[in-house]
Amino acid sequence: MMDILQLILLWFGIYYIVAVSLNMEFGYAGIPNFGKALSVLVGAISVGGILNRLLIWYFGVKGDLIEGSTFAIARMNEIIAAHPLAGIFLLLIAILLAMVVGFVVGMIFILPSAKLKADYLGVTLLAISEAIFLVCVYNLSIIGGYYGISTPDILAFAPGEKRGWIFAGIVLVFAFLSFLFMEKLLNTPYGRVLKAMRENEDVVKCFGRDIMKLRMRTMAIGSAIGAIAGVLYSFYTGNIVANSFTRVEWTFFPFLMILLGGKGNNKGVALGVLAYVIVIVFLDIYKYDIKEIFHIPFEPVWLTYILFGITMLLILYYKPTGLIPERPVKTPPVKRIMED
Amino acid sequence: MKELLRTEGITKYFGGFRALHNVSINVDEREVALIIGPNGSGKTTLINVISGTLKADSGKVFFKGADITNQEPNLLYHCGIVRTFQTPQPLKELTVLENLLIGAINPGESPWKALIYRSWLKKEEELVERAIKILDFLKLSHLVNRKAGELSGGQMKLVEIGRALMTRPKLIIMDEPIAGVAPGLAHEIFSHILVLKTRGISFLIIEHRLDIVLSYIDRLYVMFNGEIITEGRGEQGIKKVLEDPKVVEIYIGE
Ligand SMILES: Nc1ncnc2c1ncn2[C@@H]1O[C@H](COP(=O)(O)OP(=O)(O)OP(=O)(O)O)[C@@H](O)[C@H]1O
Ligand SMILES: [Mg+2]
Repeated sequence: MMDILQLILLWFGIYYIVAVSLNMEFGYAGIPNFGKALSVLVGAISVGGILNRLLIWYFGVKGDLIEGSTFAIARMNEIIAAHPLAGIFLLLIAILLAMVVGFVVGMIFILPSAKLKADYLGVTLLAISEAIFLVCVYNLSIIGGYYGISTPDILAFAPGEKRGWIFAGIVLVFAFLSFLFMEKLLNTPYGRVLKAMRENEDVVKCFGRDIMKLRMRTMAIGSAIGAIAGVLYSFYTGNIVANSFTRVEWTFFPFLMILLGGKGNNKGVALGVLAYVIVIVFLDIYKYDIKEIFHIPFEPVWLTYILFGITMLLILYYKPTGLIPERPVKTPPVKRIMED
Repeated sequence: MKELLRTEGITKYFGGFRALHNVSINVDEREVALIIGPNGSGKTTLINVISGTLKADSGKVFFKGADITNQEPNLLYHCGIVRTFQTPQPLKELTVLENLLIGAINPGESPWKALIYRSWLKKEEELVERAIKILDFLKLSHLVNRKAGELSGGQMKLVEIGRALMTRPKLIIMDEPIAGVAPGLAHEIFSHILVLKTRGISFLIIEHRLDIVLSYIDRLYVMFNGEIITEGRGEQGIKKVLEDPKVVEIYIGE
């Protein structure tokens, strides 16, 4: 039971970071970022593709990326085992790196869609993200592709039974920081103009705002935050396999979480993420029992998809505002007026 | 008087349909210009071209002497041109107050500055105060926290006006601002327009309700089938336009 709780906390944290950043892009700014998975992949690339290469170079080991990583990481893990701070330091470096790369990628990612309205925007982002995903799967020299690549063990100093909890704790800290950051960033004129852009781009344009600039900045920040989740996930699994950064898990699920929790509401999103994660974790644990009991004639993984598809339709149909509806952006003077 | 806005021979086609033909108008500084004309005569199309929402096929638009033809709307806003829409364009999920606040730009709309309170809080206080005053004037105070999507058509129209009044631009373009607004308030709005005029703001207005607006305007253009068929200036000039047989025919023909 404790293991289940640990899993739920861990996945809650990772998914919250993805969902809260997608919420800024989609819930606030109205950008249908169907390529959200790309920002998570960027986090993985920063660890597997960049950090690992840096370690290989630093320790001067021989061999290609996949082989070299194994040796370089063995060395790194020894150091972390002796000096716990080195592990934390490595984590922070990776996150900083991923945020910078994510920021740049997010900004470039939205460029081809400069002239597009929302409908085409989503499809374009999906296509770009899928293309990069496939390249990363089949080109082993980026992050080891389908073959996989190991990552440094940032908790090499911790005894086995505590590791899961420490990791869950780290993930929750970053999730909480993401929440605080988004609340601070979005309860401002910036958050308001993003919502206005979502409601009507033409009005916002007629009142002097540059839509493209708003989109670019939003996608840059959203991708930088999303990349943090990619880093945490990569360190958690200890082995990055490019195939795991699918659109279903890292784009569609976060969309569902937002719609369920309440788009445009960072607290609502937390509720949506929690609800989903609990369902995912339990489904995953009991999928074979469920298959037995209900005589389901197909792979139980499809059960998850079907269930989520149905939930999505039900929410959109019966409760489009989600569990906690969005609230006006509360700057101090607006708050005063609302309380009068 | 100094010229503020001038269009020269604007022509605009929608496919094969000619919506505007060789339209030339002038608005001077501190002037209220009115465009009238039957439905479909091209009035809205003209201001869409002026405000950059539509691109002209030929012709030019000058503002303060500079060529602004087919500029992007966001740049025109920074030149000092603000507009309202004939069909209200409320930001539906935003409150009435928020809808007005979008009328003016706050430095805190940049994400980097948003994180530093003191870079935008003072401006925000100012803008909220101004918005509250405008809502008071438009008799919308009781709806300040209501979602704009829940308002009636007439109330949405007023929100449009309120948003345009949030800054002190050089030119405010209004497309049927008082359609569906009660006569008393309509007169108050136009009295306010006169006050703003003395503060140096010009107006280009489309409006059908001549009975209300006639006494507030300085210049009148009549459009028909995408062309300006006649124009007049000052009390005498406007009177002559209204007595013009072509104008009488169009209006009686309706
Ligand atoms: N986007 C468009 N595409 C095609 N035709 C258009 C478009 N916009 C306007 N029109 C046509 O151009 C003509 C002029 O329209 P416009 O809206 O400018 O008229 P108006 O004078 O504002 O009329 P109203 O008094 O009804 O508002 C009309 O015949 C209209 O059908
Ligand atoms: Mg019109």
